[in-house]
Amino acid sequence: MEVQNSNMMKTSHLTREQIKQLARTSRREELGRNWYKFSRNPLSVIGLIVIIIIILAAIFAPQVSPYPKHAGPFTDFAHAKIAPNSTYLFGTDQIGRDILSRIIFGMRSSLLMGVVVLALVVPPGVLLGLISGYFNGTWIDTVIMRITDIFLSVPALMLALAFASVLKPNLWNSMLAVSLMWWPWYTRLVYGLATTLRNEYFVSAAEVTGASTAHILFREILPNTLSPILTKMSIDIAWVIIIGSMLSFVGLGVQPPEPSLGTMIADGADYLPDQWWIVVFPALAIVVIVLGFNLIGDGVRDMFGGEEN
Amino acid sequence: MSKINQKPLLLTLVMIISLFLTQCAPKATPVSQSTTEENAPAVSESQEEAPATEAAQEGTAAKRVLRVTFSWPNRIDPAVGNDYASSSSLLNLYDSLIFPNAQGGVDPWLAESWTISEDGKTYTFKLRQDVKFHDGTPLKASDVVFSYDRLKNIGEGYAYLVTAGVVSVTAPDDYTVEITLEAPTALFLPSLTRLYVLNEKLVRENTKAEGPYGENGDYAKEWLQTNDAGSGAYKVKEFPLEQYLLMEKNTDWWGTFAANAPDEVRFIGTTEAVTVRSLMEKKELEISDQWQSFEAYEALEKIQDVDIAVLPSMTTFYYMVNNKKAPTDDVHCRRAMSYAFDYDAAVSLEWPGTKQTVGPIPASLAGHDDSIVPYKRDLDKAKEELAQCKYASELDKYPIELHWVAEVPDEEKWALLFQSNMAEIGMKVEITKVPWLSMVENTSKLETSPSIATIYVSSDLPEAGLMLKQKYHSSTNGTWQQNEWLQDSALDSAIDEALATLDDAERYAKYSAIQKQLVDNAVSLWLYDQVEKRAVRSCVDFPAARNETSMLMGYYFFAANIGVNCP
Amino acid sequence: MSMIRFIFRRILYSVFVLLGLSIVIFIIARIMPGDPARMSVGARAPQWVVDRIREQMHLNEPLVMQYFYWVSDAAQGDFGLSLITQRQVTDDIKEFLPASIELAFYAALIASTLGIGLGILSARYKDTWVDNLGRIISYAGVVTPSYIFAILFILLFGFALKWFPVIGRLSDDVVTPRIITGLVSIDALIQGQFHTFLDSIWHIALPALALAMGSIAQAARITRSSMADNMNKDYIAAARALGIKEREIMGRFLLKPSLIPTISILGLDIASILSVAFLVESIFNWPGLARYGMNAMLYKDLNAISAVILVFGAAFALMNIIVDIIIAQLDPRIRLRSSRSD
Repeated sequence: MEVQNSNMMKTSHLTREQIKQLARTSRREELGRNWYKFSRNPLSVIGLIVIIIIILAAIFAPQVSPYPKHAGPFTDFAHAKIAPNSTYLFGTDQIGRDILSRIIFGMRSSLLMGVVVLALVVPPGVLLGLISGYFNGTWIDTVIMRITDIFLSVPALMLALAFASVLKPNLWNSMLAVSLMWWPWYTRLVYGLATTLRNEYFVSAAEVTGASTAHILFREILPNTLSPILTKMSIDIAWVIIIGSMLSFVGLGVQPPEPSLGTMIADGADYLPDQWWIVVFPALAIVVIVLGFNLIGDGVRDMFGGEEN
Repeated sequence: MSKINQKPLLLTLVMIISLFLTQCAPKATPVSQSTTEENAPAVSESQEEAPATEAAQEGTAAKRVLRVTFSWPNRIDPAVGNDYASSSSLLNLYDSLIFPNAQGGVDPWLAESWTISEDGKTYTFKLRQDVKFHDGTPLKASDVVFSYDRLKNIGEGYAYLVTAGVVSVTAPDDYTVEITLEAPTALFLPSLTRLYVLNEKLVRENTKAEGPYGENGDYAKEWLQTNDAGSGAYKVKEFPLEQYLLMEKNTDWWGTFAANAPDEVRFIGTTEAVTVRSLMEKKELEISDQWQSFEAYEALEKIQDVDIAVLPSMTTFYYMVNNKKAPTDDVHCRRAMSYAFDYDAAVSLEWPGTKQTVGPIPASLAGHDDSIVPYKRDLDKAKEELAQCKYASELDKYPIELHWVAEVPDEEKWALLFQSNMAEIGMKVEITKVPWLSMVENTSKLETSPSIATIYVSSDLPEAGLMLKQKYHSSTNGTWQQNEWLQDSALDSAIDEALATLDDAERYAKYSAIQKQLVDNAVSLWLYDQVEKRAVRSCVDFPAARNETSMLMGYYFFAANIGVNCP
Repeated sequence: MSMIRFIFRRILYSVFVLLGLSIVIFIIARIMPGDPARMSVGARAPQWVVDRIREQMHLNEPLVMQYFYWVSDAAQGDFGLSLITQRQVTDDIKEFLPASIELAFYAALIASTLGIGLGILSARYKDTWVDNLGRIISYAGVVTPSYIFAILFILLFGFALKWFPVIGRLSDDVVTPRIITGLVSIDALIQGQFHTFLDSIWHIALPALALAMGSIAQAARITRSSMADNMNKDYIAAARALGIKEREIMGRFLLKPSLIPTISILGLDIASILSVAFLVESIFNWPGLARYGMNAMLYKDLNAISAVILVFGAAFALMNIIVDIIIAQLDPRIRLRSSRSD
């Protein structure tokens, strides 16, 4: 971003057209530079590839999974609880359904849930944290953080139960419910960081030069909080997926027979340890998703943080 | 600094190791082998860590202990508790006038004998004179009257059963109790088993003046939650709510104990599969609860010297079909479902010994009609019936919403079976997992009641008429017991009339007609009569496993009759 | 001085937070499905009994009046009767809260030592096999719900190896120490009963570890990333240039500021352990408040729900204050600016 600004300044005597042209190329250049920074770490690229494969598999689930029927109304009790073998790579569950197929289908709702919830939760959560952290000690801080506290202290399951009784049980409403209980965690995290950062020399320097509050919040403080935020996000993907299964217990969220990774783990717990595959494979699937997103997160951090040092 | 750096390394290592061990655990559990192999380190470990435990164990080795897991909460106030754990506790702590026997009848207990007036309305009980409460106070007829009044005034627990149709309970002298009824009923005598007699003096001493019962204050409700005021074979020793109820033998009890009756009975409030399994494996549990999954019983059965006892129950698994909501308000649609469902598959998902329900009530009840032919899967007949259903052409518009209880995860299996069975005849079923609270709420109004609610229902007494009433009489509309919404006044009066008939054969004939009519109308789907499964250590002499105990809820656990010969 | 003022102010704010929370709880608890009076006596009890309980609990009056009754009673420490236990909710909380606190205390101890330790290790050996192993362990820890760990621990250490007891707070034949704090292990220690202390630690180890697993993983990841970040900061480079030993740099300059995000999240995590522990508590038959609260929710025991959540809310508020104090200690530049606005 700053690079682009300095380019603009140098070229102030050029025509409008030329400026636009330059801006376009510099944007392309910037993209290229970012990609270079991202791809410097091979692990980030692996993460990206893994996530792309998973997303493709989820989109083309009916074509990719060995038994697409097993994701719908289907029972085959004669083939229930079969250990992994060549016909059923990940074994079958208590109903006789292929676990691999259900994982592939389950990734659809689980991924959607994880991504949408974080998209809904992170921007407001971070923004509120930045503001109250920067205005630490003022009434703004007090109001925002006390409201955050109230939301933090209502147990999630209770909020979910209340929601379940008011809303129609479907995926979107359950995302809404999870989002409502999730944002305070980001506010709290960023708040803690922002209170420290606002004392850093570069913030004081910006204040002295008369930079706008928005500039200080987003250009000075935010970049320095990205690292823990990204780490928490990549971990939260897993938690959102698991909390989603809790919601389906109270009647919100994905309803059987449609599969979701979290519900598969929760229901499978009854079959431990003898039928371990019912739990282990869906859990591994979430581990892979989280790992993928985390590696991407590392890459993104390199992209933003690289320049500073 | 070095401390900070090294400690985590060590701890991390421990954690990493434990994680790996954890992942290997499933494979490394050929149960009996690992038991003997790992015993040695286990002993040395515990000696190091808790020598006090070891010493104490040696000192009390001779004690016979019976430990049973139950689903909590456990409410031991006779005017409050009425679920399984509570009932099992009450009958050990308190005595009743009469005691239910294995044949479905009643035996003398606190009452040595009784007479019934000619009009069938007045019962006169003669009490034993050698009964003392746990504090030594003799038990008198006035205590019985007090216990009845207290139950009636509080109105909770088994009050609805005991006080129904009773006009008065009086004590003409210290050892005589007289009870008068509004009208003769077959249910009265068996229901008296739920009148548990309290020590009036002790209850009065522990009553708080402030409370909702007028001059009776709080009726000692608070005190009785964790204490007993009974005369029963066992008395409360410790009761940390949430954890367990520990009872000890009442050595002054008037009755006779089985030769090896336990000195201590511990009801433990957990039903978690792993917990129960580990306790059994460690020989720290004699009898399991009945709420384990099929797989959990399979695993329990593999433990050495543990058997699964299959006990009869008065419970049927109902698919309660809404008779007032499209498309199941049409009898042909209901019959189509009844013929399309695969009952054999449904039964085979349960523990061996389970049978399909014959008619609308459990076969164990007196007055059940064994001659009824239950529905069997027959797709041709199903399609034939479906064709006659007025919604046949627009089934897509009326999906069938099936609600199953989230707290009973096993129910999902039958729900999915039902869904795929119905798909075969073109009926679309939408399954929803519903928490119990919502189920109760939804079934309270016709508008919110689902097309089908899948619920287990038990009879309070071994009498067909009571189950018919609790399940299909209009008085239970708006409760979870009836999602059918029959609202059929002719049926209501038929049930009431049958119940008022004292002659057994005559009454059973009336029950039979009602059962046939309900089956013909396919008002519900009757899946199977539940059997009560419990893992029992073979060193326990458990009369219930030999069908020597009444089926009334809780009486399987009358500890004075159970023998414990465990080392 | 400013510290005392700060704490005082925060406590004052917490009262307002709890008041706000009480309104939220009150509304939510009443939106939840079901008639509490009916739930407590069962489907077969006659209607007049239900009506009497409804009246006793003021359930027939407008919501505002109900709230008024509740708050005025609660202000005097009276949270009403629990419908499940039929006792004063305050008595129930007195009985179950200490067990919860004990569990959360040991879980916090485990989570902070193991989590931060693992994070330091990963940062120190960044991008080596140690780091990658730490990463995988963390993710396994994060995706696995605590009750699955509870099940696995019981199966491994209770069932197969028989190293640890499965249920309860003490062995059946160990006498419970006289109650001082209600935390059995602490009470035993205070009264010098060392065997009882060991026995209680032996009982609490598995549930505490199971509860701590998720927090360990999260703390480790956040510590690692924030340390890795700070490692590139100028002042660390300066310290290196000055020839200060790596170990000292890690401990003195790097660790403290890097712990800020970890502690913000870990603090909340620990407070939430109190309330999310219900499955683990019920697996280990631990008489904790979360399990009591869960039962209250399943039976819609209004008074118990409200009181329990208020207790959890207070725990959150307390944890928040503690976290803010610790952060201020770690970064002396934060002056706990309570005086700035006045």
